[in-house]
Amino acid sequence: MIAGLFSSPRQLIGVEVLRMEDRRERQSFEELALPLLDSLYQYARWLTRNPTEAEDLVQEAYLKGLRGFDGFIPGSNIRAWMFRILRNTFLTSRSGLRAVPPVSLDEEPQLLDEIADGATPESHLLQRADAESLRRAIEELPVEFREVLLLSDVEDMSYKEIAETLSIPIGTVTSRLMRARQKVRKAFSGQR
Amino acid sequence: MMDRHWTAEDVERFADGEASPEDDHLRQCARCANAVLATAQMKRAIRDAMDVGPAPASLRRRLTERATAKWWIVAAAVVATIVVLTPFLLHNRSQPALPELVDMHVTMLASTNPVDVISTDRHTVKPWFEGRVPFAVPVPDFSSTPFRLIGGRVAYWRGNQAAYLLIGKSAHRISVFVFRQENAPKFLGQSPPSVSTLSWQRDGLTFVAVADIPPADLAQLRDAFNPR
Repeated sequence: MIAGLFSSPRQLIGVEVLRMEDRRERQSFEELALPLLDSLYQYARWLTRNPTEAEDLVQEAYLKGLRGFDGFIPGSNIRAWMFRILRNTFLTSRSGLRAVPPVSLDEEPQLLDEIADGATPESHLLQRADAESLRRAIEELPVEFREVLLLSDVEDMSYKEIAETLSIPIGTVTSRLMRARQKVRKAFSGQR
Repeated sequence: MMDRHWTAEDVERFADGEASPEDDHLRQCARCANAVLATAQMKRAIRDAMDVGPAPASLRRRLTERATAKWWIVAAAVVATIVVLTPFLLHNRSQPALPELVDMHVTMLASTNPVDVISTDRHTVKPWFEGRVPFAVPVPDFSSTPFRLIGGRVAYWRGNQAAYLLIGKSAHRISVFVFRQENAPKFLGQSPPSVSTLSWQRDGLTFVAVADIPPADLAQLRDAFNPR
């Protein structure tokens, strides 16, 4: 089914068509990757913040996934693999280059030893927040924070899986996620 | 250990389902338990806020329906190829060759230079073809026949190389096309009424003679090519 998507302009009809090996390969790629469509689209939406761009991004990611499927190690994490392809595709796109600042967001000193305080006014505000204003607050965040929130809270990825998807150390995942949530609290309380 | 408050990282790791301290402390510490609860609620709020729903049907269609589209394109291309090629295939297979050869014969005779090698000597004409056509051209000895050699040239018929011999018989002139058998016309068809034609094969070559002389005279020419 999905093989169709993968008829890119770069592939010539005559060359592309009937090699059984390709079809077998596509079949299994399709089986693995198509169930991820909703998740990939969601990720693409939060990377691009634009429905049309998101659709194009997902399509391109599937195309690249199909082409690079030889490099996928069977049995390894297809979700992290496809997410990584989607992300790399986004980062090399024009809007991706605009979205990501040249300096890493993880440079700032962390507040990891800060004592937990669940009773801050911000988090109570957050609890009462309607989804729409929270969505707007998240949308304002830099892409590196948006994506880490999505991967953890929507996709329920483990830190290890997030690390694999973003190609960063697990320690960086932990701190980036904390800072993202901190920013949501702050940004959100600022809106109110 | 038990009464030490959790760090913000401990709380988040716990809420995220990652390795975190034993949860004994949470049972006793409302403050840390509250922090965990708030983080869990925040996670849920973020999940709800970030949910954009399933991928649009249009996208799913783009990913899945192009398969069909592609096969249509392939099928269309195949059909188009067949449609385009068929006339050529049919042309080569079933279009009669004789009318074309007769036209060539007439064209040659109308030309001021019908041949490139002009010689009545077969020992001149035969070697002239060497390197010009990919086969040895038999040029018979006409000395004891009513025919005389005029000359020869290289001819092309439907992209195939042929040796062309121009032969005279009194005032008439005869064209003899010599093909390698594999490149020779498969289907000659009917000779136009204005001329006689005769075709024969020998030693892997196909000969087609065209002239405005009676067929019997062409048979005589054939025999000159095929000495007993």
